[in-house]
Amino acid sequence: MMSTSLSTRENKKWLYILGKNWTILFLLGEAIVFSWMGTGFFSIKNFQNILVASTTILLLAAGETFVIITGGIDLSVGFVMGLCCVISAKIMVTLQALGLSPVICIALGAGGTLLLGLLPGLVNGILVAKFRVPPFIATFGMYGIAYGVSEILCNSVPIAGLPALAGFIGNGYLLYYLPGRGFTWFSPPQGIARAEIRNLIPLFPNVFMLSLLAILIFAFILSRTVFGQHTYAVGGNIDAARRAGIPVDRHLIKVYMIASFFAAMGGVMYTLRFVTGRADAGAARMLDSIAAVVIGGASLYGGTGNIIGSLIGTLIIGVLETGMVNLGLPTHNKYVYVGVILILAVLIDQFFPEFVEKGGT
Amino acid sequence: MLLSELSPGQRFLLFLGRNWVIFFLCFLCVLFSFTGAGFLSPKTLNNILITSSPALLLAAGETFVIIAGGIDLSVGFVRGLISVISAIIIRDLYAAGYSPYIAIFWGIVVGIGVGLLPGLVNGILVAKFRVPPFIATLGIYGVANGVALRLSQGFPITFLPPEVGEIGNGFVAYFLPGKGYSFFRRPAEILPEDMRNLIGIAPFAFLIALLFILIFAFILSRTVFGQHTYAVGGNIDAARRAGIPVDRHLIKVYTISSFFASLSGVLATLVFSIGAPTQFSSSLELFAVAAVVIGGASLMGGKGSMLGTFLGVLVLSVLEIGFLMSGILPFYRYVAVGVTLIAAVLIDQSFPELVYD
Repeated sequence: MMSTSLSTRENKKWLYILGKNWTILFLLGEAIVFSWMGTGFFSIKNFQNILVASTTILLLAAGETFVIITGGIDLSVGFVMGLCCVISAKIMVTLQALGLSPVICIALGAGGTLLLGLLPGLVNGILVAKFRVPPFIATFGMYGIAYGVSEILCNSVPIAGLPALAGFIGNGYLLYYLPGRGFTWFSPPQGIARAEIRNLIPLFPNVFMLSLLAILIFAFILSRTVFGQHTYAVGGNIDAARRAGIPVDRHLIKVYMIASFFAAMGGVMYTLRFVTGRADAGAARMLDSIAAVVIGGASLYGGTGNIIGSLIGTLIIGVLETGMVNLGLPTHNKYVYVGVILILAVLIDQFFPEFVEKGGT
Repeated sequence: MLLSELSPGQRFLLFLGRNWVIFFLCFLCVLFSFTGAGFLSPKTLNNILITSSPALLLAAGETFVIIAGGIDLSVGFVRGLISVISAIIIRDLYAAGYSPYIAIFWGIVVGIGVGLLPGLVNGILVAKFRVPPFIATLGIYGVANGVALRLSQGFPITFLPPEVGEIGNGFVAYFLPGKGYSFFRRPAEILPEDMRNLIGIAPFAFLIALLFILIFAFILSRTVFGQHTYAVGGNIDAARRAGIPVDRHLIKVYTISSFFASLSGVLATLVFSIGAPTQFSSSLELFAVAAVVIGGASLMGGKGSMLGTFLGVLVLSVLEIGFLMSGILPFYRYVAVGVTLIAAVLIDQSFPELVYD
């Protein structure tokens, strides 16, 4: 009995490795297909484009990872992002009208939004944890509320007239490299000749680096702290977690607030990048972010998943999107692929549970 | 607890709790008749009926799914997809020289035929592959939206024959106060200054919606199929042990939801004379689910009725038109709906005896 099961295991070993790492292989496959079909896939510029384009999904997916690991789901992230995009733009415009300097406007706008952005998550968390509302309903209600409030706040017109510095930060890079003249920080070298602009290589997009910083902090929290362990425990077996003395209700509330915080950050980044506050900024991104987490190996039944997986899931969607834009293909197909990949990932999870990594390892 | 054990006061509260939707609806009508001039007029009534037709159809399909214990998030985008498909067929057949009525006929038939597919896939995923309903339908939400955007290239399908709008915006009867009435068409020799007084009675779009809703209300409340739907939603294991073909039943239920979504898509094409993909921010699925829940269905399955859903949709439509006529941003409706959805679930959870058995 033992030997047969062992030999079956041996036979299935390659399948097992394939199943465990299919996302990385899929990502490589995408890279090969796109570099074969178009030019300039393997370039610093294209890679940075992919990273900037993926920032929104990455942020939403990072928050969604926590929620999905606890066995819940947050359908509100897209519209909470739109709400926070409107709020941050509104704060910046209002403060600017009061005559404050652009730096203070942006700092207060971003900071205030990140704080206010915790509210929807707090409500979601209380509904789920204290009132036992199923997560997809509590957050579905919040989805309507957040969208309604954001359209009311901006009077259904995108907010414009933000400080120009916002766009400078949002579309800027940490480092600029001009071959022959060296590096400069934060802005292109002064007195640069027109002909040289084409040679200028910007490195590390601000928006992506800021997001990455937040994501790394929370990846550390998830994989290396007691808070992270409790998150897995709550998702794996909520009754056992409760009996083990974990404050499950408070933990769930915190987890939904994390999702909401990342959505708020997505909204602030959108405001900085596009220098406008739109209510529908993240509307199309809810599906993408859930798909990224599920593709990344999280189970919708809770207890499994990690941020690195979600990062790879995000890149799969980001590479697909950017690759299709570069090839001049209609990006509308992306929604089809994302929907199909989401369902496939759930099916793989269901039928080959041994492929899914357990715990935070 | 038996009804007879309750004190009169408790019985009154129970009555109030069970019928709160009707009282709320009356309250809204009274409120808006004060805040919005001309709220209580035949024209507004027609507007409410016409605006509610799409939501009514989506919610009718959603009723079956929610009673069966599931949820269908794809309805809004299936509606957009079918609106685009039917519009493309009508436009191309009309351009190819067919009579507009033949073009419209095929647009409707093919549109609804294709519209059964998403529901079939949803049903198979949920029933056979045990994918959680909100994930299976979220996947189809993406797929349907992608195909709709691809087919339409992101722009509404236009250049439909004028007959499309005539059918979609027609009334069964027209009544001109003091001068008589006509059926199906506007009075031929109507003077321009009389146009404003012309009252249309019974809009086609609403009647078509109502017809199918009545048929399916009958199926839900009076047939074995309906009983099985409640049984599956109430206790799926008991239903299976009782010999109900649960998997096949669930597939049929999701197909019904998809059928209603595509009917709503076809009607959208007829009413607006364009085929438009659904906007991400339109949140049609939220309104469908909310209407069903306001109508007394439980998201845990096993409870709900078509009449309840009908009242739920009316509440949402009265809110929309009432806000508009009172000069309030209609987006308050999203907030109201979100709050109502959560409140309804809280009431359902805390006072289960308020919900009809």
